[in-house]
Amino acid sequence: MKKSKRVSLSILVLMVMIGAMAFGKTTIDVACFPDQDSGFKSMLEGFNEKYPDIEVKIKVNGFAEHHDALLTQIAAGANVPDVATIEIGYIGNFVAKGGFVNLMDAPYNAGQYKKNIVPYKWAQGTTKDGRMVAMPLDIAPGTLYTREDRLNEMGYTIEDMVTVDKWLEAGLKFSQDLDGDGKNDRWLVPNAQDLATMMIKSGEERYFDKEGKCLVGNERFIEGFKLAKKVKDLGLDGGIGAWTNEWYEAFKNGTILMQPSGAWLGGHLKNWMAPDTAGKWKALNLPNGLYINWGGAFMGIPERSDKKEAAWKFIEYAATNIRPQLEQFEASNIFPAWMPSFEDPMFEEESAFFGGQKVRKQWAEAAKNVPVIQTDKFDKMAETIVNSALTDVLENDRDPEEALEEAKRLIERRTRRRR
Amino acid sequence: MDLRLSRESAPYVFISPFYIMFAIFGAFPIIFSFYLSFNMWDGITEMKWVGVENYIFVVTDPWFWKAIGNSLIIFLMTTIPQHLIALTLAYMLYLGTIKFKEFFRSAFFLPYITSAVAIALVFQLLYGQHFGMINAMLKWLQAVPGIGGLFELMHLDLPIRWLGDPKWVKPAIALMVTWKFTGWNLILYYAALQNIPTTLYEAAKVDGASPIQIFFKITIPLLRSVIFFAVTMSIIGNLQIFAEPYMLTGGTGGPANSGLTAAMYLYNTGFKWAEFGTGSAMAYVLCSFIVVFSMLNKYFFRDKG
Amino acid sequence: MRKNKKPIKILTMIRKTLMYLMLGVGAVITIFPFYYMLVLSTKSREEIFSFPPPLWFGTKFFDNLHILLEKMPIFKALWNSVFVAGSQTILVLFFCSMGGYAFAKYKFKGKEALFSAMLATMMIPQLLSIIPWFIMMRHFGWINTFKPLIIPMIANPFGIFLMRQFMEGIPDSIIDAARIDGAGEFRIFWKIVLPISLPALGTLGIFTFLGSWNQFLQAMLILQEKEMYTLPVALSKLAGKAASNWGASMVGTVIGTLPVVIIFIFASKQFIAGMTAGATKE
Repeated sequence: MKKSKRVSLSILVLMVMIGAMAFGKTTIDVACFPDQDSGFKSMLEGFNEKYPDIEVKIKVNGFAEHHDALLTQIAAGANVPDVATIEIGYIGNFVAKGGFVNLMDAPYNAGQYKKNIVPYKWAQGTTKDGRMVAMPLDIAPGTLYTREDRLNEMGYTIEDMVTVDKWLEAGLKFSQDLDGDGKNDRWLVPNAQDLATMMIKSGEERYFDKEGKCLVGNERFIEGFKLAKKVKDLGLDGGIGAWTNEWYEAFKNGTILMQPSGAWLGGHLKNWMAPDTAGKWKALNLPNGLYINWGGAFMGIPERSDKKEAAWKFIEYAATNIRPQLEQFEASNIFPAWMPSFEDPMFEEESAFFGGQKVRKQWAEAAKNVPVIQTDKFDKMAETIVNSALTDVLENDRDPEEALEEAKRLIERRTRRRR
Repeated sequence: MDLRLSRESAPYVFISPFYIMFAIFGAFPIIFSFYLSFNMWDGITEMKWVGVENYIFVVTDPWFWKAIGNSLIIFLMTTIPQHLIALTLAYMLYLGTIKFKEFFRSAFFLPYITSAVAIALVFQLLYGQHFGMINAMLKWLQAVPGIGGLFELMHLDLPIRWLGDPKWVKPAIALMVTWKFTGWNLILYYAALQNIPTTLYEAAKVDGASPIQIFFKITIPLLRSVIFFAVTMSIIGNLQIFAEPYMLTGGTGGPANSGLTAAMYLYNTGFKWAEFGTGSAMAYVLCSFIVVFSMLNKYFFRDKG
Repeated sequence: MRKNKKPIKILTMIRKTLMYLMLGVGAVITIFPFYYMLVLSTKSREEIFSFPPPLWFGTKFFDNLHILLEKMPIFKALWNSVFVAGSQTILVLFFCSMGGYAFAKYKFKGKEALFSAMLATMMIPQLLSIIPWFIMMRHFGWINTFKPLIIPMIANPFGIFLMRQFMEGIPDSIIDAARIDGAGEFRIFWKIVLPISLPALGTLGIFTFLGSWNQFLQAMLILQEKEMYTLPVALSKLAGKAASNWGASMVGTVIGTLPVVIIFIFASKQFIAGMTAGATKE
């Protein structure tokens, strides 16, 4: 019967066509954490214009889960994504352990892009012996978010606030007990720990120096701890944990005067944390001339991936082109690491949320001043131990120097055995 | 079609799955763990023999002792109330003059069957500092004249930062664990009470004994073996709790490690910091604690003649 | 000396009231978190974080469900849990009844010793083997599969013990009669013993199912992708930071808890009976 033969033939042709289309496409898995997924999604259109045969599957996991899972996957050699994003806190771990492709090799030749990427960021993704394990995606210049309206209420202007002492002064005025229950209801910061973090993250070294010697307990740390303790003792600290509902409320209601963080927090604030407070905020540089790095991520290709070429195309696209860098910036406040993008008029824009301030320009300027930072594979472990020491100081009234000494000892114990 | 097993070989064949599985998934890992405990391994690079160094490290690690201390404190905070409440309530139910026995038994058992993770999520909200139900109730109680004074006396500072203040984290965990497991013990005790012949009670009543005397002089001694069993299970279980503190502290172990239990610390060491050797050593040290406690328990419940 | 009847009656009444009170308070404390879970799942995030906290149902259940589904394939997780728990239960019922039958109805050399040894393994703390267990699973290539959650536990001492307790009560005559009729050993087990043991199988089944349903540590270590998560693992990821919507998380816990509660309500009598039978024979 001719009819049925024709039908089955056309079905066959159709199937072959679909098969060919599917066959021609490569699918890559991109593993990331929030809010990178919004950024990636926003640049997909442009990416697919350039590479129509690469399909991108974005897998997003919570910040800690993403990194923990990545570690396990690399260790197990199974289920690795083709592109993995890594935040700076974790990069030391991955750089040291291996399991990622060296992007300086052919066919990636990442070295050609070096001159256009923010310098301090470039160094971080590279090992001591010159292998580049992960490509810089974004930077996070440290900044101080403040409620300008509250400052003005007390008679300060943002130009006044350049030193830590000035902030303490303003904080003392601001922190009050409004409902008479013996406790302050307005504070300088939600959590004194952030101030300590601010001091600790400054400078060129974090927890270890080039030789792996533990630096915990030197000036930076002592200053940071003492500052946090002082703030707490003066009642300027709200004792509110980050990312809790009380924390969101503090921003919404303006019960805190300032919050040090990275540029990326601005996006969160604007988009969902406190959108109704638009216009009342300003983003300042950190006091005392501190320029620090507060976050920022990289992208790498796990060794076990079998789609390395396609993966590199994605990374290259996302990290070394102005358009996607800006698209990500727009969507999720992921600050470009690709310097040519700084020329874009977007940086001259005034932000309504920040009361007309040219925040992007401000951050770009700040980024230029951030020094190169020495990372180490034990960074995360050291961070955990130091944070625990800090809580001990703040909650249990422990002496800062003593707590730091012990933290240093603990870190050295653990790391000495594994160097 | 049937497998023509002989009557002699059948039982061995039938019980073999257990022994095979145990050999592979029970015995071998334990032996391997013992071997690992003398090595340094992160799962990727080569293994390095270090002898007893891991053990020395664990035993001199302040955080290990903190974790053990935390586990012990939580253990005491929850096991004692668990069994006291369970026994008391079981006895009340047993006395028989209560209606809705079925309802009570089922209700009390409900927490045991639900996932610790799900429960912890709800408790996180209950423990909220400003918006949690528990603090709300405490605040309401504070307004009641007598109780308010009591709070003052105890220097109780409301609202309590259950999960943010180091000194409250352990009670918070203990409370949740108590809520979860009391029902299990209750059912156990209730069943055991059923097994006591009523004739004993009749005889005692005839002799003029009061209910309280009956309880202490007859019931408790007869329940001895069940209590021993239940407490042993509690020791093995409560010293290893993981899900509850993990969820309540968000995986962090709480402020200043106040909620870091031994199991969590082992998890962190072995899996987060990828120190398989150290973790194995820690497991063995921890288990020796459990053994010691079980033996103490046995001694406590030994037959006194 | 005869006591006056009136004081006794009052005393009894006081005692009774006290007991009802304590039991009642206990029941309220026990049930309240479940109730609260349900209430919060119907509230928006703002409503949850208000003072005083909400006590009655709201209207936002489906909104929350929608938010939840955006972040976590919760129904897939539900299905995963059902699959894992169900598979494990079926396997456990088969292998444990087999083992229990052997210990109950056969005489064989070393029976006592083997049984005691088996019971002794129950005392081994789980933490001792967790690290090598994980390494082994990695070696087998079983990471991110369901196998590690199902296979290792299929013949466990508790189950064998429970089945033995029950099967000891089966009259030997039935089994002997079947043998005389020429039935093979396995056939006797399969066609005669198992059907008789249905009540015990029911209890063991519920136990196993619940235990598997709530399993956390192993599942968390093994399962790597959202699509593979079982319910507890999925729920644990909902407690994180950044945009945590508690209303949505509560919907998740409701979905995770409701099946268990429903099973329990229907099977509670048998369940508790089975448990007590096992326990009191200690």
